[in-house]
Order: sequence, then C-alpha cells, then structure tokens
Amino acid sequence: MSLSNWIFLIIFIIAITFFAWSFRKRFRLLALGKAENRSGSVLKRCWNVVMYPFLQRCAINPAYRFGINHAILFWCFMVLLISNAEFLLKGIFSAIDFARLPNGAYFTLSLIFDIVSILALLAVILAVVRRLFFAPRYLPARSKDAFVILSMIAALMLAFFFMNGAEIGQGIERASTYMPISGFFASAFMNGASKTTLEILAAIFWWIHAIVLLSFLNYLPYSKHMHILTSIPNVYLRNLDGVSLQPREEFKKGNAYGVGQVNQFTSKNLMDSYSCTECGRCSDMCPANATQKHLNPRVVIHDIKVNLLKNGPDLVAGKQATLPLIGGKKEGSIEEEVLWDCTTCGACTAVCPVFIEQYPRILDIRRHLVQMESRFPEELLNFFENMESRSNPWGIAPTDRAKWTTTVQTKPFEINETEYLFYVGCFGSFDARSKQITLANARIFNAAGISWGILGKDELCCGDSLRRLGNEFIFDTMAQKNVKMFKDKGVKKIITQCPHCYTTLKNDYRQYGLEVEVIHHTELIDQLIKSGKLKIDGKVDLGKVVFHDACYLGRYNQIYDAPRKTVALATGKSPVEMERNHERSFCCGAGGGRMWLEEKVGKGINIERVEQALTKEPQTICVSCPYCMTMFEDGLKTKKMEDKVQVLDVAEIVNRAMKQS
Amino acid sequence: MDEQKKIKKPRGLARLIPGKCIACGDRCQASCPKDAIAMNDKGEPIVSAEKCIACRKCMKICPATAIEIYFTPEEQKILAELAKEAKTPVEAEESDKDTDTIAAKLREYKGVWVFVEQMDGKAAEVSWELLGVGANLAKARNVELCTMVIGEKVENLCQESFAYGASKAYLIDNPIFNHYRTEPYYKAICYLVNKYKPEIVLIGATGLGRDLAGAVATELRTGLTADCTNLSIDEKGLLLQTRPAFGGNIMATIMTERTRPQMASVRPHVMTMPKKDTSHKGEIIRETTAIKEDDILVKVLELIDNRKQGAEEIDIAGAEVIVAGGRGVKSKENFRILQELADELGGVVGVSRGPVESGWMPVERQVGQTGKTVRPKIYIACGISGAIQHLVGMQDSDVIIAVNQDGNAPIFEAATYGIIGDLFEVLPAMTKHIRELRAKKRNGA
Amino acid sequence: MLIVTCIKQVPDTTQVKIDPVTGNLIREGVPFIVNPFDTHALEESLRLKDKYGFHIAAISMGPPNTEFTLRKALSVGVDKAILLSDRVFGGADTLATSTVLAEAIKRLSQEEEVALVICGKQTIDGDTAQVGSGIATRLNYAQLTLVDKILSLDIKAKRITVRRKLEGYHEIVEAPLPALITVLREINHPRYPTVPMRLNAKETPITIWDNQFMKLQEESIGLKGSATQVRRIFSPERTKGEIVGNGTANPEEAAKLLIDKMVAKDIISV
Repeated sequence: MSLSNWIFLIIFIIAITFFAWSFRKRFRLLALGKAENRSGSVLKRCWNVVMYPFLQRCAINPAYRFGINHAILFWCFMVLLISNAEFLLKGIFSAIDFARLPNGAYFTLSLIFDIVSILALLAVILAVVRRLFFAPRYLPARSKDAFVILSMIAALMLAFFFMNGAEIGQGIERASTYMPISGFFASAFMNGASKTTLEILAAIFWWIHAIVLLSFLNYLPYSKHMHILTSIPNVYLRNLDGVSLQPREEFKKGNAYGVGQVNQFTSKNLMDSYSCTECGRCSDMCPANATQKHLNPRVVIHDIKVNLLKNGPDLVAGKQATLPLIGGKKEGSIEEEVLWDCTTCGACTAVCPVFIEQYPRILDIRRHLVQMESRFPEELLNFFENMESRSNPWGIAPTDRAKWTTTVQTKPFEINETEYLFYVGCFGSFDARSKQITLANARIFNAAGISWGILGKDELCCGDSLRRLGNEFIFDTMAQKNVKMFKDKGVKKIITQCPHCYTTLKNDYRQYGLEVEVIHHTELIDQLIKSGKLKIDGKVDLGKVVFHDACYLGRYNQIYDAPRKTVALATGKSPVEMERNHERSFCCGAGGGRMWLEEKVGKGINIERVEQALTKEPQTICVSCPYCMTMFEDGLKTKKMEDKVQVLDVAEIVNRAMKQS
Repeated sequence: MDEQKKIKKPRGLARLIPGKCIACGDRCQASCPKDAIAMNDKGEPIVSAEKCIACRKCMKICPATAIEIYFTPEEQKILAELAKEAKTPVEAEESDKDTDTIAAKLREYKGVWVFVEQMDGKAAEVSWELLGVGANLAKARNVELCTMVIGEKVENLCQESFAYGASKAYLIDNPIFNHYRTEPYYKAICYLVNKYKPEIVLIGATGLGRDLAGAVATELRTGLTADCTNLSIDEKGLLLQTRPAFGGNIMATIMTERTRPQMASVRPHVMTMPKKDTSHKGEIIRETTAIKEDDILVKVLELIDNRKQGAEEIDIAGAEVIVAGGRGVKSKENFRILQELADELGGVVGVSRGPVESGWMPVERQVGQTGKTVRPKIYIACGISGAIQHLVGMQDSDVIIAVNQDGNAPIFEAATYGIIGDLFEVLPAMTKHIRELRAKKRNGA
Repeated sequence: MLIVTCIKQVPDTTQVKIDPVTGNLIREGVPFIVNPFDTHALEESLRLKDKYGFHIAAISMGPPNTEFTLRKALSVGVDKAILLSDRVFGGADTLATSTVLAEAIKRLSQEEEVALVICGKQTIDGDTAQVGSGIATRLNYAQLTLVDKILSLDIKAKRITVRRKLEGYHEIVEAPLPALITVLREINHPRYPTVPMRLNAKETPITIWDNQFMKLQEESIGLKGSATQVRRIFSPERTKGEIVGNGTANPEEAAKLLIDKMVAKDIISV
C-alpha cells in the first residue's frame, strides 16, 4: 500500500466512524418511541420495496411530472453506488480495480458509468434550475439543505469527469473510447496539458471526489437526505390497511393518552419524520394548506423531527424535554391551531411517496389535548357533551331519530329475519336536508325488494367525529355499546348512507371485534342494479353533473366507480370530473370533526371546493355524503349560486330516475 | 261483621301506570308508611307486593295520577260479589285532627298583599299587574287588597297603588331601604307579615322579586310558588297556583295548605294591567323598623345601566329578545332593519352562520351549534332557513317567530308563529306597527 | 377555607316531549344530567380554587343514583362529594330541600371554615330559584343571587365583590364572607373533565349522609316538611307552528296581525 493509500485509509476510517456515530445517535432516538407491530405480510412488504423505492413508483406520479427527475437521479445513484464502492475500495487497496476486468466487461461498465454520471449531472442541474426558477408553490424550494446536497452531487459528477478526463489525457485509460463524456472533458478542458499537470489534476480530482463522497455520506444523517437511508425501511413498514387507524387505548388509572411529548409517538412514527424529503406534495394536496390555514402537513412532520432531535438526547438521558411538542412558537413545536385545522381527509398520506402518515400524528396529539388537558376549541364542548349524553352531535332527543319514517314504509330490524340493517346515522336521522337522502334510500330499498330494517330510536351515533377529534374515551364507550348491540341483534350486513359511519363501522369497529359486511348505499345500489333487483328504466335530466368524491369513501375505502356508474346510468351520461378527483379529491371541509368547528382563518374549504366545481359550470353537483351535502349547499349559498346549481346525493338521483320510469 | 263471611275484602296493591310517572322527586316513596316503594334509576316507583298495604297515600300524593290500586281478577270477582251484597261500607275520609288545629291557626291570616317593587321611587309595572289579579283573589276571599311599599321617599307609590286597586298600603320609608338589599327588605316584610298576618303575598318574579321572595318564605317557613301563570281560589278558599314545570312541558297546580301566608311570584307581562283610577283612595299605614344600617354588611357599590354600555358588550346569550338574521338578509347594511325592530323590543341582533361567514356580523353574535346557545323570551328568525346547526342553538326560546320566503324552510317547524314573506317588507311593517300602537297608547293615556 | 357547591341531578327537560295523543310526558330516553346552571357553579368554585386554593365540597340531595352527578363533580376537580340521601328527604319542596342542604353546610363548616356557598341560579326541572335564598336565609349568610361575575375576593378582609345581573341593569355589590352566591350561565364556560380525572373520580368514595347522621326533625324535611303540595299536573296548551296572515300577498297586514297577536298573548307589551 502506498502512502496515499494509507492516508486515505485513515480518512476513510475517520469518516466511516463519524458516520456510524451520527447514524447511531439518530437511530438511538428512534428507540425512544413506543413499539408498534408492523410485521407480517413479508412478501407484500418486500414487493412494496421493489415497487416504490426501486422501481420509483413513489416518485413517478402523473400529477407531479418532475418526479421523473427524481427517478432518474435515484437510478443513477444506484448504478453509481457500484462505481463509488469500487472507487473507495481502490483508494485503499489499489488491487481492487475494475480495470482488471476483461475488456468487454470493463468497457461496458465504463460506458455505463460515464453515461449515468452525465444523466445524474443533468438531473441535478434541472433540479437546481427548477428550484431557482420554476419552483411550485408547495415546494420549500430554496432550502439550504437542498442546494448543499445538489452541489455535492454535481461536484461528485464533475470530479468524476475531470479525474477520468485527466487519466484519458495521460493516455492511461484503456476504456477512453467508451467514456465519451470524460473524453469530452479531457479534450475540452485539459487539452495540451503536460503529463505531470494531468497526473496532478487526476490526483486532485481523485481527492476532491473522495472527500466530497465521504462528506456526502456524513452529511446525510444531518439533512433531509436522511431519507436515502430511511425511506426504504419506511416503505417496508408502511401501513398496509387502506385506512390509517388509530390504535385503541386502554383506559386504566395511571395511563397517558395520546401524544403530548415526542417520545410518546411510536418508533415508526418517528422514522416517518426522518424519511421526509420535503417534496411538498402533502402541502400541495392539503385542503387546509390550500385555504391559508395554519396547517401544513409537511411542517408538522418536520416539527416532529426537529423536536425529536432537540429533546431526544435529554430524553435518552432520562431528563425532561425542554422544547414543547405542542403550542410553542419555535421550530420543532406544533402550534395548537394547526392541530385543529386538519379535516383528516387523508390526501397527505395518500400522496406521500414514502408513506409518511401525517394526519394520524395530528390525531395522536388531539387525543392528548382532549383527554389529558381538556384543551380544545370551545365550540367542541357542546358537541362532546351532546355525544356523551345523547349520542348525537346536536343533543336532540333520541326519540326523534325515527321521525323521518312517517312518509315511507319502514320496519324495525328483527333478529334472524331482516337481512340488512339500515344504519341511518345522525345526519340522516335529524338533519332536514339529509332526511331527504334517507327517504330516497328507503324508497330504493323498498323498490328493490330487499329485506331491511332500522334500529329507530335505539340507534346510536357511531362516534366518528369523536374519534377524529381525539375524544377516544367517549368514542370507546360508544363503540363498545354499538358493537354489543349489533352482536346482540345478530346483525350481519349494515347499509350506511354516510361515509363516516361507513368507515367507522367497517374499519374502526374491527378493533372492537365487529366483523360484519358494511356496505355504503352507493355500493349497494350499484349491486342491486347489477343483479337486476333494481331497475332504472328512466333517465333523469339534471344538466351537467359533476361528481365529488367523499374522502372517507374514496381515499379511505377506494369506492370510486360504483357511484359514478350509477349516476351514469340514471342520467344517461357519465358525470363530469373535477380537476381534483379520485384519490386526489379535495375535501369538502367537514371531516375530522371540522363539521363542529368554526373555520376562522383563511378561505372556507367548502368555498374553495365549490369554486372548483363551478369552473365546470355544472347544473348539479353529485355527492355521496351528508357532510359534503351540507358543505356544498352552504358554499353555494355563500356564492349566491344556490338557485343555479343543485346538490344531490347519488340516492336522490337514482330515486328521481326511478320516478321517470 | 258476619262470622260466616270468610272472604275478607281485598285491599289490592298500588302500582304504577306505565308512561304516567314524571319523576317528580320521590313523593310516593316519601309518603309510604310501610317502606314499600323503591325508586328505579329512571326515578319511577317500584311497589313491593309484600309490603304494600294499599293505604293509597302514594296514590293521593302523586301529582301525575300515575299510581293506581290494582286488583287481581280473583280479587275483582270478590269485590263484585261484595258489591252485590251492597254492604260495602263507604270508606270514610280519614279525619285528621292536625288539620283542624292547623286550620284554626290559618284562619287568623286575612287579606291579599302585593309587594310594590321600586327603584328610585319608580314602581316596576309587574307590581300593578299583581294588583289586577290580587283584586280577583281578594274578591273571591272577600278580604282586603293591600300593598307593601318599602323604600326611601316612596309615599307616592302608596297613592299609585290605590289608583291600581289597593285599599290599604303598608309603608316603611327609611334611608336604609334606598336601594334594594336582601337582608333589610326581607326582614321588613317578615316584620309586617308577622304583625298583620296576610293570607296571600304576591311578589313580581323579577330578579329582585325572586331574590326577596325566597328569603321571606324561608324566614316565615311557608310555601312559595315561583313564576305562576294563573292564580285562583278553590272551593275551600285556598290559593291555587298554576305554573309551568319541567321546562314548560307540563303545568302544575300547587297549593300551600298548612302554612301562611301563601306566597306566589308572577313574571312580568303574565297578568293584565288593571285600569288606573286616580280617584280611588286608600289608607296608608306607616311602620318603622328596628334595622340599623350598621348591621347590614352588604353594600351596593354601583349600578350600571345596560343601555349605556358599549355595543361590544352586547351579550346575546343573556338577551331576552333576539332578532336574528341569516343569509336571507343579504348584506351587512340590511341588518339595520333587524336592529330597528330589536331596539323597539329592547332586544339585540343575532345571526346564523351565514352572515358570519360572509363577514356581515361578528362571530360573537352567532347562534347555533358552534356559536352560542340562547334561550330568550322572543326569538325572531329572519331569512334563516333553520338548518339543524342553527336550530339547536335557539330551540329552547319561549316564543320563536320565523319570517322567511320559503314556506318549506325547516325553521317553520320550530316556530310558534311564522310569516311566509319577504323580510324586507315584513320586518319594517312590524316595527312600524309597534311604534303606532305605542304612540296610540301614549296619546290615549 | 371551603367552598360548598350545591348541585342537583335533573332530568334533561329539553329532551322531554309530550305524547300528542295521551298528553303524557314521554320520559323514555331522557337522561339525567347535572343541572346546567350548577355546572357553572361548579366551574366558578374550581376557578376560585385554582386562584386561591380553596377546598371544594360538592353536595347534592337526592336518591342514591345521584351518585352519578357527584362523580361528574369529582371528575372536574372537587375535593369531596357528599350525597344527602334518605327516604325521609324525598318529596321535598324548596323549603324542605334548603333545610337539609343548610344543615349539611353547617356540619361541613364545623370541620372547615366555609367561605362561600355557590349554587346555580335555578334548576331546569323546577325553575324556582328558591333553594339558594333558602340556604342563605337559614345560615344567615349574605345572599348574592344572579351573579354574572365575581369581581374580587379578599380572603383576609373576608369580603367579596360581585356583579349581579338584573333587568336592564347590573349591580355591583360587596358583601362579607361567608356568602351564598347563585350564578348565571354567563359567568363562565364549564371545563371538560380529563380522562385521568374521570378515572380517578370513579374510584373516589362518595360520603353518604342520611338522616340518622343529619338528625333533622322529620317534620321539617321531605314531604312532611314541604309547605307546598302539588295538587295536579296537566299539559299546557301548545301553540306551535301557526302561520300568520299571507305574508307574500300582503306583508304589511301579516306583520300587523302578528304584532297584535303577540300583544294579545302578552308576549310583548306596548
């Protein structure tokens, strides 16, 4: 080994040691988090790792075309990983050298590395240009972090070319004809230089390359580029259920509930914060962020990370945290308003390339605020008390639940007799407008001749909003009561007309041991038409119909086609799509308990969505959720468009078509 | 009794008539001499068949007539047989010796008295309204109608009470009574009552009147019925006091049988104002009191007139009249129309969510699920469709009036009175008509 | 020093409906709740505790199931809860109720000096607003009803200054301690119990005082001690949902009709 080998070996060992130390320091902090079981489904998880990081399905998204640049950079990085490994090893043991390979292999590799390097350089340049001149609104474009990393990659590539160029100039590179870019560097920048100069240049660029490479490695744990290390395990550990469910809580004396301090998150939650690469897609999708609210999901995850890094060492040492997770104004502390802005629409988690769960962390913290500190917007006090004492949001007498039944034929649900339980829900039972949807559904069920029944005044609220608002304690008692009632009554199939009831019964209640078939009315109607039980002969002319996807039906439960097909059949033409549809749909603003909160900051989310709908110049907006119904009608009134545009539920449209026949 | 008759007359058992119990507060249980009644979690009685002796005390005490005496079919047969023999003795009313001695004591109390509430020498109108109903009671009982006038320099009120029908006024005029304080006032009244022994005392159910009446009744250990809507005399000469209970869901007729005076308070505007007749004269009986200022530790430091308060201080949650507007009001400026009506009725302007969203009105004025819950005496909803989010905030108002162009709007389901029409036409007409009526009255009086 | 808060468990009368056919009260599904006014009394006590460090005792008279109400009080932070429950307390009117409550407060004051008794303005089932006055008169405490703000409290000088809300005006009154306060809903926003407090409240023992302990004369309490008797109850006349006039064709006439109706029914006066 030569002297330079020895020097490099020492530098290499220092760099690797430092990296290992940084890496360990960061990862030890993850161990502060609570354990969480995300094992199982190994094959599926491995497949995800292949698909998302390695095949870059994460980055490639038609809505974010620039993602392809990331994919190119990633693949280049994978290829250059081989090249750089050889580079480092060769630095220590000169004997390890691709040049020792047979010509065919060596030439191929040289060509590949040369081409890939220029691709990487171009991708970096593109990225810089985009950040400087064409940055989208959602991207924190000019962050120091980004430019440092991009410069490093560019420096690596340039050093690579200059180093190779210098070697080509010396005539010692036998693959020179297979290295067109390096060759270009040799002829363009180093033409006519003496052999000694070239030797010195080659050495200088070798060392530049070596130092930058090791710096890059050591910079990673301290930057957002940590994602290079964590996103693969993060994808592996992703939530495999369609919905991100909050775990149940055990209500026992001495327990703490929710997250009030960063070490109350799970380790996986904390790893999420390491995996964020600040692409800003979640900010782009977030309806609260789009309407100038305090909330930006990316910043929430960032704050969790900063908080962990700040408090972590103290917490590891068994000391108190100094930076509050909630309520502080500093970076690393989440403002309280932020936590109540979230509609839990799930757009952030759906779009995140590395499956970070943004909104569930907000819900974790809500749980803490509500249950440990009783800190929440004052308008929720009434709501919580009404839910607790009367099992509906408004505190209306439970005896009024079946008032809608006077004008349509209904039956109570009978054990062993009735097939479907029609779980009407609070809106469908009490809200004047939503009762119309209930009636439409009842008429459809009767027309199709299915066996269905209701619980009437015994029906209880499902507790959706409570859970999303963090009041798990009351939700827990309500869920237990409901599940017991369903089991006692031998309920096997439940129809809901509210996506919130739907997802709560179908997904959340599974945690309480409820295993029944839950079906949304739009799914059922679709099935009934398919099976021929429900016949829609007529067509109803509603003008131009735009369709709005309810978050809890679409993103939460992947029901996109059934309502659209039904509307197409009933109106004779497919509904018009809004710009934001399917998994990119934009929330109406009422989910996550926002229905019961005032929107005090920024533009109304519902106004924004109504405006998006109005750009399509519809005569009808079709919804499939009573919350969306309320928010759209409200928004149209604010826009003074209520006389020109009507809002109808899928069931109402079907009902009108049935009347036509 | 005939020895051959082995059959004993069945007594039956007390039992609850389903759906009738109002959970009045365990009266039946308390009345049961045999401890045979237990209360369930709903506050309804469960009668123990072993312990019940069918004494009927619970049945009599039950205000809701929710308890009956039940006989099994066999027992009914026996009863029928006994009835055939026509020998069943009529159950005599239990004669109650206590009742007689009490009755004698009660007879010492005579006359109907009305407390004249005043501030700075000006009487509260409710006092004169009480003289109206008091006159009827006095007539039915054939006794005098008198007033109590307490204050500083308030002799003029004695004359005024004669003009409204009183024939006697008991006057205590002393600087100590300058402004109302519970202690000196209740002591003064107890002094007068103990000395002159009226059988009925009526007090206006204002903030002041309720504060006073409770103290007086407690000190005298007598019955007090608050917020009566109807007062009359029964065949035995007792005062029948009818008032809403259970949040206005039921009416209850209440008596004070064993103590005197029988005290009742009545809310303003419930009784009709009697005609004023300045020629009607009466007798003033001056009284003094031994209460000294030094003994009274409560001091009134300041009085703040609400009308002089700033607009920011407007508190819709405590308002008695609210004129509320929705999106139908259409602009910020148009709220002037609502304000005019509110001013005329001594109320404030509230809103539903729409106007707040549109920035026409501040969020502090919002009524509803996410705003304030209000329970005014009058709630006038203008251009409010009545979405559930709004209804839950105002449905407990005493009187709800809806003005809306859409006759199908859910607000009409909650309304006491409704006008289907354009609020921009209806509201100004309402304001105008009130002003006309008031002008007419002023000119007439 | 001690603050005693009197609370009552009431049926939620806003939930009560009348059966249109039989005229009976439909009580099914009507929950018992803490009298809403009393929740504000509780909150005011808690705020004073937070500020001055008082102890708080919540007392309630009622049947054994009143425990639920006292647990609610414990869950928001009162220090002890006492249930005054005995068959002989049953059927009490306001006079007999205040006898029992006043005696309980007297007994509490023997253990710890009472600074304040705080009650809600009235209950929603009885609406009488008399029990507060009854307690104050019996105990000879300063009586401060209809308080919408506590302005100052001087523990050393034993004086309290409050604002009372009356018709059209507010009154600022200073009184010596011990005093009895009845509070309006406007005075505060009640707090919501935290889960740990709820769980604690489940396990905190509730003291039950019956008449063997209280030793009150049976003639002064319960049904026997009540000066008023309910003779009968009946359903009130309902005037729901009357459309007045033809507001579309003749708005002026409809407005007049409505105002005349309101004047005739004494809803408004001119």
